[in-house]
Amino acid sequence: MKFLDKETIKLDRELNELDKFVLDFLKILEKHTDYVIISGYVSILLGRTRGTEDIDVFIKELNKNKFLDLYNNLKRKGYWCLNSEGSGEIYSYLEDGLAVRFALKGETIPNFEVKFARNNLAKESFNERITVITKGGNIKISSLERQIAFKRYYLKSDKDLEDAKHIEEVFKNNIDRKKINIFKNLIMEEDEKAKTRKK
Amino acid sequence: MKKLKPGKNNKEDRINFVKYWADFVRNSKDELWSRQQNVLINSQIQNARYVKMSRKDYLNLKGELR
Repeated sequence: MKFLDKETIKLDRELNELDKFVLDFLKILEKHTDYVIISGYVSILLGRTRGTEDIDVFIKELNKNKFLDLYNNLKRKGYWCLNSEGSGEIYSYLEDGLAVRFALKGETIPNFEVKFARNNLAKESFNERITVITKGGNIKISSLERQIAFKRYYLKSDKDLEDAKHIEEVFKNNIDRKKINIFKNLIMEEDEKAKTRKK
Repeated sequence: MKKLKPGKNNKEDRINFVKYWADFVRNSKDELWSRQQNVLINSQIQNARYVKMSRKDYLNLKGELR
């Protein structure tokens, strides 16, 4: 795999069942809204040796009618929502800042965990996105520096620290370490604000 | 290819493997490393499809049953 430019990675990997699930879902999603994939699947796409049961994606906020179009299209193409059958209820979860999960009908794993990008960190993850060109289509992921910072300084589990290390090692000649620090500070500020709001 | 360095404990051992594998990914053709990675990922997906957990059980397991 190699960077073609700052915003594009060419990836010649053999596609697996998870990649095919992702690409099929994205082909529907991108007809309705813009998206960015974050977290675990990014490191897996880029070679990490682990599986995952869900793919985290931020989407740009939709009004209720536009969400209904997306939901109906997903249903027509053979997906179901794990959280509810009712479009109103699903939309209200998204409006409340919660994530909803979509899988192929009759299945639960793998699933897409879909969330509206509402807070600053989520909205900013659309900036400096990277398009990964695969044999089955393009996948938009958040920047590698953002991934590393989010996993290392916010999520912090062993699995997340390993994901961050994998990306850092594979792209050691492309990573901007100053940017990781900038994102680290933003994440910690946002985390502090969230803690203050809870008090 | 670099040799895999044994860790003094499980955590260090896992990080050493992450570095070792990342080195392989960086220095190999995508087709080569992805073929090995896919064995793991495809088996997980096939297993999940075989087990067929209900929506309710899955959300309960994730602590997301509303």
